[in-house]
Amino acid sequence: MTTTDATTAAATTESVPTSQTLAADTRRNSHPLLRVRDLSVRFEPKMSPALTAVDKVSFDLLEGEFVGLIGESGSGKSTLAMALLSLLERPGRISNGSIEFDGEDIASMSQEDLRHRRWRDIATVFQSSMNSLNPVMRVEAQFRDAIEEHSELRGDAVTERVRELFSMVMIDEKFMSAYPHELSGGMKQRINLALALCNRPRFVLLDEPTTGLDVVVQRSILEAVRRLQKEQGFAVLFISHDIGTVMELSDRIFVMYAGQLVEQQAATTLVKDPLHPYSKGLLGSYSNPRADTVRVTYIPGRPPDLTRPISGCRFAARCPEAIERCSSDEPQLLPLAGGRVACHVAHLQRGPSEDKPDGLPEQTTRFAGPEFVKTAEDSDRARRGEVFLEVDSVTKVFERRRGLRKQQTLAVDDVSFALRKGEVTALVGQSGSGKTTLARMITGVDKPSSGTIRFTGSEGTIAVEKLRTRQLRDYRKHVQMVFQDPYSSLNPALTLRYTLTRPLRNHRGLSAQEADAVAGELMETVALTPSNRFLDRYPHELSGGQRQRVVIARALAANPELIVADEPISSLDVSIRAEVLELLQELVTGHDIGVLYITHDLLSARLLADEILVLSQGRVVEQGNALEVIRNPQDAYTRTLLDAIPNPFEQATTTS
Amino acid sequence: MRYFVRKIAFFLATLWAAITLNFIIPRLQPGDPAEVMVQKLAGKDAQLNPAAVQAMRAMLGAPDGNLFTQYVSYLGALAHGDFGISYTYYPYPVTEVIGQALPWTLVLVGVTQILAFVIGITLGAYAAWRRNTRFDSIVTLGSTFIGTLPSFWIALLLLFVFGYTVGWFPTSGGYSASTPGFNGPFITEAVSHSFLPALSLLITAPIGWILGMRNTMVMNLGEDYIRLAKAKGLPDRVVALRYAARNALLPSVTGFAIALGGVLGGSILVEQIYDYPGMGRLMGEAIGNRDFPLLQTLLLFIIVGVLLANLVADLLYGVLDPRARRAQS
Repeated sequence: MTTTDATTAAATTESVPTSQTLAADTRRNSHPLLRVRDLSVRFEPKMSPALTAVDKVSFDLLEGEFVGLIGESGSGKSTLAMALLSLLERPGRISNGSIEFDGEDIASMSQEDLRHRRWRDIATVFQSSMNSLNPVMRVEAQFRDAIEEHSELRGDAVTERVRELFSMVMIDEKFMSAYPHELSGGMKQRINLALALCNRPRFVLLDEPTTGLDVVVQRSILEAVRRLQKEQGFAVLFISHDIGTVMELSDRIFVMYAGQLVEQQAATTLVKDPLHPYSKGLLGSYSNPRADTVRVTYIPGRPPDLTRPISGCRFAARCPEAIERCSSDEPQLLPLAGGRVACHVAHLQRGPSEDKPDGLPEQTTRFAGPEFVKTAEDSDRARRGEVFLEVDSVTKVFERRRGLRKQQTLAVDDVSFALRKGEVTALVGQSGSGKTTLARMITGVDKPSSGTIRFTGSEGTIAVEKLRTRQLRDYRKHVQMVFQDPYSSLNPALTLRYTLTRPLRNHRGLSAQEADAVAGELMETVALTPSNRFLDRYPHELSGGQRQRVVIARALAANPELIVADEPISSLDVSIRAEVLELLQELVTGHDIGVLYITHDLLSARLLADEILVLSQGRVVEQGNALEVIRNPQDAYTRTLLDAIPNPFEQATTTS
Repeated sequence: MRYFVRKIAFFLATLWAAITLNFIIPRLQPGDPAEVMVQKLAGKDAQLNPAAVQAMRAMLGAPDGNLFTQYVSYLGALAHGDFGISYTYYPYPVTEVIGQALPWTLVLVGVTQILAFVIGITLGAYAAWRRNTRFDSIVTLGSTFIGTLPSFWIALLLLFVFGYTVGWFPTSGGYSASTPGFNGPFITEAVSHSFLPALSLLITAPIGWILGMRNTMVMNLGEDYIRLAKAKGLPDRVVALRYAARNALLPSVTGFAIALGGVLGGSILVEQIYDYPGMGRLMGEAIGNRDFPLLQTLLLFIIVGVLLANLVADLLYGVLDPRARRAQS
C-alpha cells in the first residue's frame, strides 16, 4: 500500500466506528421507530396465479439506526419497500400484518392521514433509474412543492432552504433552476437525496440508490449518505444487491430470501460469522482482490416459485447444508448469537450438543457450494500464450458538427496492447473513458483515426482497420460480443433453438440438422443441460444467469477466437456472477479463446483478467499484470478506482 | 432562444417552398387555360374562335414575360393580396369569396375543435387516473365504438331526426331572414343553424384526444417521478395535474395545433350536408366547377394554416418541454 492509499484507508476506517458507536448509543435508549409485524404482501393478478411476495415479515428499526436489506433480485426487497411506503400498486396489496411508525399503524391509516405524514416522517430515494424527477419542472419547484406541502415555509424561505440542501449534498446552487435533463446521473441522485431530506424526516428508505452509476460516483454518493445520516440522525433502511456497500455502511443487516427475512444480524458479526447458509452464499461473492488466489462462491439454482405452496425451508433446494428436517419443517426466525436466524442447521450447530442429530454438517463461515477460483498460476500460464491480437497506437477522434464549427473529441488516445490466446485482458475505466470505443474498433464497428489493429486468426493476419463490408462479415466469425444486459440481447420472440442455430447456419454454413446437433452441444458447453429441455424455451423462461449463458453460447456458435465481453456480469445478481465467470474462464482455458473484458469495476476485472489496462479519458494510465496493478497501483486514477471497491472484510478485521 | 430562431427559419423556408410550388404546378399543366375555358363554354365539338380566346385571356389576365418575371409579379400580387378572380363567382375576386366563407368556418370548426380537445383531454386524463374502473371502461369502449362511425353518417342521422322528423333545428344554410352583422336576430339564427353541424363534428372529434391522452397518461403514471410525487405526500390533484397530465399532454399539443391548422379547410362533408356557407362547401364547389384560381388559393390557405399551426406547436412544445429545446438546438 502506498502512502496516500494508506491515509485514505485510515480515514475511512476511523470514521466508521464513530458512526456505529453513535448509533449504538441512540439504540439503547430509544423505542423502535418502525415496528413491522407479520407483514405479508400478496399479488393477485387477474390473468396469472396469485403469489405472496412478502411473507410474514417482522422487524424493528430503531431511531437513528442504519439497516441494510440484502437479497437476490426477486427476493421481495423492493416490494417490502413499497409496502413500507404504502405505495403498492394493484394487483399488489398488504394482505396481513401491521406497520407501526412511532406507535401508529400506517398500514391501516386512511390515505389522507397518511399523506400528511409522508415526506415529513418517511422519505425515500428510489433506484437511480434517473427518472425520479419530473422532466418538465425545474428542480427547485420539485423541492418547493414538497416543502410547502408539509411545512410553514413559503416564498424566499423555501428558496433559502433549498439552497441549504444543495450545499449539503455539495451541488452548486446554480443548478436549482436547472431541469432534470441538464444534470448528470450522479448529480440527479445527490439531488434526490437532498430532496428526501428536505423536511428533516426521521426515516429514509433508500432503494438501490446507486445502481447503474459509476463506481467512483457511487462511492461519493454513499459517503454523502453516511455523513448526513451521522449529522442528522435519521434512520435508514438501505436496500441494495451490492452486498459490499451494504455491509460497509450498515449497523445491522437483514437478509431476505423468497419473501422472508432469513437473518437479522449486526453487520460486523455477519461479516465474520454469517449464520444462514444463504447469507454465507451472498458473502462468498466477495473476495479480497489483493490475494494471490481469488475465490468466490456462487449459489446454484433459482429461488422457488412463490405461486406454489412450499413446505419446509425455502432455501433447502439450493442449500449445501440442508438436513432432512429442512424439507419438512419451516424454520422460524429465532434469536441466535445476538441476532436472529431462520435456519434449523444453524440453531442445531450452536445449540446444546445432545440435540445434535446425525449427519449435521460442520459449522462453517463459508458457503459450502461451488466456487470460482482464479490463481496466480492461471495467469502465468496465460501469459505464455501466442499473441493473436495486436493493437498499435490506436487513436480515435470523433468529429461533431455544430452549425459551421467542427468540434473534435479525442475518444481514444494512442492505445497499444497485445492479447494472447487463452488470456483475458480487462479494459477498466469509468463511462467516457474510451473503453467501449476501443472495443468497437477491435470488432470493426468503428475505424480508428490512426494506428493499426492486427488480428492473426486461422486465415492469416488481417489488418482490421482496413476491412470493408464483405471482409468485415468474415472477420466477425472470429470475433463475437457478449453484452451487458442478457435481458435485451436475446430476442424475446425467438426460441433458443432459433437464436443458436442462426449463427451456425450463417457463419459455419451448416444444414438445419447439423446446426441443431451443434446447438445442443453448445448448450451442454454452457451447462444448460439437458439441452433438449432448454432449446425450445423462450428467453423469458430463463433466469438472468441462464440467459447470459445462452448469450455466451450464441457467441461461441461462430467458433470465435476472440470474445469481447462488455460488462457481462454487472446486471446479474451477485449470487450468480461467479457462475458466469466460471464459464468464461473455462472457455478461455479449454478453447484457447482470448477474451477482452470491458468493465468499470476493478474487482470483477481482478476476478477474471490476467492483464489489466486502466483507461482514463482515452489514455491508458496503467497497464500490467492484474495482480500487480491491484496490489501496487502506480497511477492516482487507478487508486481512486480501487478505493471505490467496498471491502467489508478488511473493515471487519480493523474494527474488531 | 436558438431553438425558436431555428423553428422560425424553418417555417419561412417551408412557406417559401409552398408558395413557389403553388406557382410552378399550374404552369406544368399542359394546355392554355383560356382555350380550355372557351372550349368548355362553346361546347365540346365547336370550332375555337381565336377572338373569344383572346378575350378570355384578357379577362383572366394572361401571364406575359418569361418565367422569372412572371414569378416576381406573382410574388408581388401575393404581397398585395391579389389572388385572381373566381370562375364560379365571376366577377368577384377570390379573396372576397373566401372572405365571405372564412368566418363561418372559423367559428363552426374552430370552436368545435377547441371544445373537442378540451373534452377529449379531460375525459382521457380522468379515465387514466381512474384506470381499470367502470368510468374508464365506459369511456374507452364507448369512444372506440363511436369512433367507428363516420361523421357524415352521424350528420345525416342528426339532420333526419332533429331537422326533419322533430324539426327543432333548421336544415340548411348559415342564417335565414336576418341581416348578417352584430345583431340579436342574426346571432340567434347563426347559432341555431350551426348547432347540428357542430354536434355532428363534436360527437366524433374528441375520440382521438381521449384515447391518445388516456394511453400516454397511463404510461406516464408508471414513471418513477409519479411514484416519488405520491411518496412526497402531494395531494392527488397535484400529482394528477402537475406531474402526470402535464407530461402526458405534450404529444397531444402538436396534434392539436395541426388540427387547428386544418380548420381553414373546413369540414367538406358536414358543411355540404348542411349546406353551410363555409370553406368546406366552397372547396366542394371549386372542385366541382374546376374553379382553379379559387381552388389554388384555398389550398394555399390550408398550407399556410397548417404551417403556421406547426410553427405554433413547435414553439409551444419548446416552452412546455425543456428537453426539446436542448435536443434540437
